[in-house]
Amino acid sequence: MVNHIRYTPELAADWKQASADVKKDYPHQFRRTLDASTSSQLESKLWVVTELLKLPDLMDSPRVALIGGWFANYITPLLIDGLGAAVVFNYEIDQDAKEISYKYNKRYKDSAEYQCSVKDVMMKTLEDEYDIVINCSCEHMYPMTKFYEWNPDLPDPIYVLQSTDDDQYDDHINCVGSPEELAEQAKLWPSLAYSGTKVLSNGMNRFMVIGYPR
Amino acid sequence: MENTVLCVRWGDKYDNTYVEKLKEQCEEHCSVPFNFYCLTEKPIQPYDVLLPTYWDKYYLEDRGFFWAYRKYYAFALNDDPKILPKIQGNKFLLLDLDVVIHQDLKYFFDLPMDKPWIVRGWWNNPDTIKRNFAKHKSTPINSSVIRWDRGQLETIVKKINKNVEVIFFTYPSADNYFNHHWYNVWNEEKGFFRGFPQGDIYSWYKGNVFPDDMTANKIREDHKICLFNNSGYGEGEYDEEIKDLW
Repeated sequence: MVNHIRYTPELAADWKQASADVKKDYPHQFRRTLDASTSSQLESKLWVVTELLKLPDLMDSPRVALIGGWFANYITPLLIDGLGAAVVFNYEIDQDAKEISYKYNKRYKDSAEYQCSVKDVMMKTLEDEYDIVINCSCEHMYPMTKFYEWNPDLPDPIYVLQSTDDDQYDDHINCVGSPEELAEQAKLWPSLAYSGTKVLSNGMNRFMVIGYPR
Repeated sequence: MENTVLCVRWGDKYDNTYVEKLKEQCEEHCSVPFNFYCLTEKPIQPYDVLLPTYWDKYYLEDRGFFWAYRKYYAFALNDDPKILPKIQGNKFLLLDLDVVIHQDLKYFFDLPMDKPWIVRGWWNNPDTIKRNFAKHKSTPINSSVIRWDRGQLETIVKKINKNVEVIFFTYPSADNYFNHHWYNVWNEEKGFFRGFPQGDIYSWYKGNVFPDDMTANKIREDHKICLFNNSGYGEGEYDEEIKDLW
């Protein structure tokens, strides 16, 4: 089980600078960087890497696409340092998120291990091929079937999807009631590598499914 | 005539008196000749044009998202000449039914048209509107007044048609969609639309320019147009306050 992020001097330097830069240059995003840094956010990202590491056929040095990865502050070091990902590419719709994600992950940006593109992946094709596609924000967007339509030539990546039944927020436009519903909506059902529910420390039910679309 | 004013009426929120009042305001406040049309589901008057319906099947009524989509049929003038064949002109000005016109509309027809124009909601806090494209109802742009030349917005119709399911599912309103895909709040020069400058258009309910001139419910006759649309009012709801100001 993966239960921590490696807090290296390089990570400390990037995160310290990211906090300072957000305060100075993106004050309107300060609250959101706090929201992205909660224990619940970390729990859900640790869960991703924990379950990926259990997969018997996980390739070495996978190329990973994040869909709507936001600031990618937790998931990027977990994937690169913990999973051994060769590259993490974050597809975001928000220019501010892209710029701030580069600050949290400057060390990986400088080594080209982390990249971010402002792109709505429900309306455009990805630029590259990936071994793993991770979407921890399914409740914020159209079902993943549209992503498959846009990317018919992706060479069979494994998908890691998270969502919730917490529909109290305006931008939770695609909540599901269970991991089974999430898998069914994303056409991963019934051949799943993983399916589970976790109650995060903020009380939110989080669902995660891992598998290949049928 | 090359100048054309368009409005759109559907449902029960506004009866035809709103169209008549808009037409009357245009006649009073436009010093150049213009055509006037109303796109409507129930054409009765000579100026009425039947609204297309091909996006209706994508509207998810229980979600209530992208509810003002019918307005964007007006962009499809060249998309299929059979759909809106009656509409003449090359310079288009789309006006919501709930506006009060203060000054000469000639100003809008004389604008440079390297880009189409849309309302920039200067009354919004820019830091708030940058945060979340699908969430905030108060977007930096507002489609209550749009100025374009014939053919200039065809690309939007094509994009909507190409992504129609995703757009209707994702965005609470067309303004949210426009803000995300067709306007650049960080750098207007990079966006598809240009926003009308400060001093042109203000909001009755929200004010004029954040943070210094935010008095609501105030008439500013030195501006061109006053908007009455209110994000707190949904389709089918009614607002009588504008009638007191006509």
